[in-house]
Amino acid sequence: MLRRGSPYFYILPIVVLAGGLIYYCIGFSAYASLTDWNGLTRMDFVGVANYADLIEDPTFWIALRNNLVFMAATIVIQAVLGLLIAVIAKERLPGSNVYKAIFFLPIAMAPAIIATVFKYMLEANYGTLNESLRALGLIGPDAVIQWLGKDLGIWSIILINVFQWMGFSMMTYYAGLMSIPDELYEAGMIDGAGWWRRLVSITIPSLRGTTSVLVILGIVGSLKTFDIVWLTTGGGPGVSTQFLNTFLVQTRADREAGYASAIGVVILVLAFALAMLQIRASNRERSIR
Amino acid sequence: MNGTKRVGPRIAMYATLTFLAAIWLYPIGLAIYKSVSVGGWGNYAAVLNHRTFSYWAAVGNSFLLAGASAIVIVLIASLGGYAFSKLQFPGRTAIYYVLLACLAVPVASVVTPLFFTVNNLGLRDSYTGVIVPLVAFNVMIMLMIMKNHFDSLPDELIEAAKLDGSNSFGTFWRILVPLSGSSLANIGVLSFVYAWNEYLLPTLLLTSPERFPVTQAISLLESDRMSQEQISQLYAGLILMTVPSILVYLASQRFLQAGVTAGAVKS
Repeated sequence: MLRRGSPYFYILPIVVLAGGLIYYCIGFSAYASLTDWNGLTRMDFVGVANYADLIEDPTFWIALRNNLVFMAATIVIQAVLGLLIAVIAKERLPGSNVYKAIFFLPIAMAPAIIATVFKYMLEANYGTLNESLRALGLIGPDAVIQWLGKDLGIWSIILINVFQWMGFSMMTYYAGLMSIPDELYEAGMIDGAGWWRRLVSITIPSLRGTTSVLVILGIVGSLKTFDIVWLTTGGGPGVSTQFLNTFLVQTRADREAGYASAIGVVILVLAFALAMLQIRASNRERSIR
Repeated sequence: MNGTKRVGPRIAMYATLTFLAAIWLYPIGLAIYKSVSVGGWGNYAAVLNHRTFSYWAAVGNSFLLAGASAIVIVLIASLGGYAFSKLQFPGRTAIYYVLLACLAVPVASVVTPLFFTVNNLGLRDSYTGVIVPLVAFNVMIMLMIMKNHFDSLPDELIEAAKLDGSNSFGTFWRILVPLSGSSLANIGVLSFVYAWNEYLLPTLLLTSPERFPVTQAISLLESDRMSQEQISQLYAGLILMTVPSILVYLASQRFLQAGVTAGAVKS
């Protein structure tokens, strides 16, 4: 079957090296989630005890809530800003390519580096953002805004993600805009539709497919978010900005590998379920239209 | 759209773009300013001659991890994309979707078994032990891009090659690969950037500072109570570590922008 020239010969490397490793890890996680395990040796089967503990663990619910708030906020903010800039860039103003390059630049930069810059920038006492705001007189000379504190921390993390990924939404919308036929706009102009009317009745409906792709990627991406939380707030103060991924990594570091695996299984189920829901919703929409 | 010929909307558009661009440039400008605010340009020299942090080693490690994983990804994603697009075999669609489902798997969700497995294979704290998971977690989107690309090439090409007596590998290598330069460049650049930016995998699997890539080496410049001068040096280090990314970005902007959106805009 694996003669050279057999179709299976071509997919063997990717199936074994990538698919095999990932599915092996998933299966291993599913099994380990049913055990009390320190991550290296001693592994005792405990049934669903880890899951029972998990639904009683307030940190889990805080992490889940943060993940969902982050998911909704980043998807909406990145889509709105990305669409706004793409629509403006489509007007082919002189210099619009420079602006596009500025917004796209953070995608090429490592999240770890961006997160570290933001951590020092947002630091409450000596951080540059508060210093800038004080210098501009926008806050009092002794005011201290806890950007990475328990109330604003999640929003600062959202801001960092928007900074990094908005350019992706912009480029994707821009590519989508290019494929809308000009006739649609010409017809709209004949009907006397103004700029706003054309945006709402022509542009946004035509970009529905692009938006749905961005929503799927936003869902999946938000469940992958780790670096920008770990390297800024580290989930703190306390557990207030814990995400599912940081909660898992923290738990594993505390040698609770079975419990960490249960968190991992919950993340995987969420990732598959939410992605499937959104894919089905967009397929249904397509079949209605 | 005609509205742009008028002055008012144009000013509004420039104002919007400029306002947003200022927000986007603030952290970057700030990092550059802070890197020289205490200690001046000497901070850059200080970082390059740091006691515990070697800039060139970190950059070299990142190049090695990103380059090696990108090469492997280009090879196995193009082979796989070709088979899933142009060859017929039982289970083709099912296997393809089972592989694509991996796109939704966060690295963090499987760190425990991944660490255990890499450790048991004796690959912990080795480059190979990081490259293999980097390939596994980055290759699926590239597989999708390559399959979509091969789907766009006409089947007649393959029929013609078959008539000329070419076997399936010959068709792939001599007919399709030469027509796939820009797609291969897209996924190569994208794989490189994704691997360069990865933080969790090296942090999980590498322990010797001399093997740290840039994302992990940041920690070598940080300590608990940092003086203003040390913070300035940290900023200088962050900027120096971003320079290679910016160079790769400038050199491959076209491929990177096309590659990043290729996974999204194809139906």
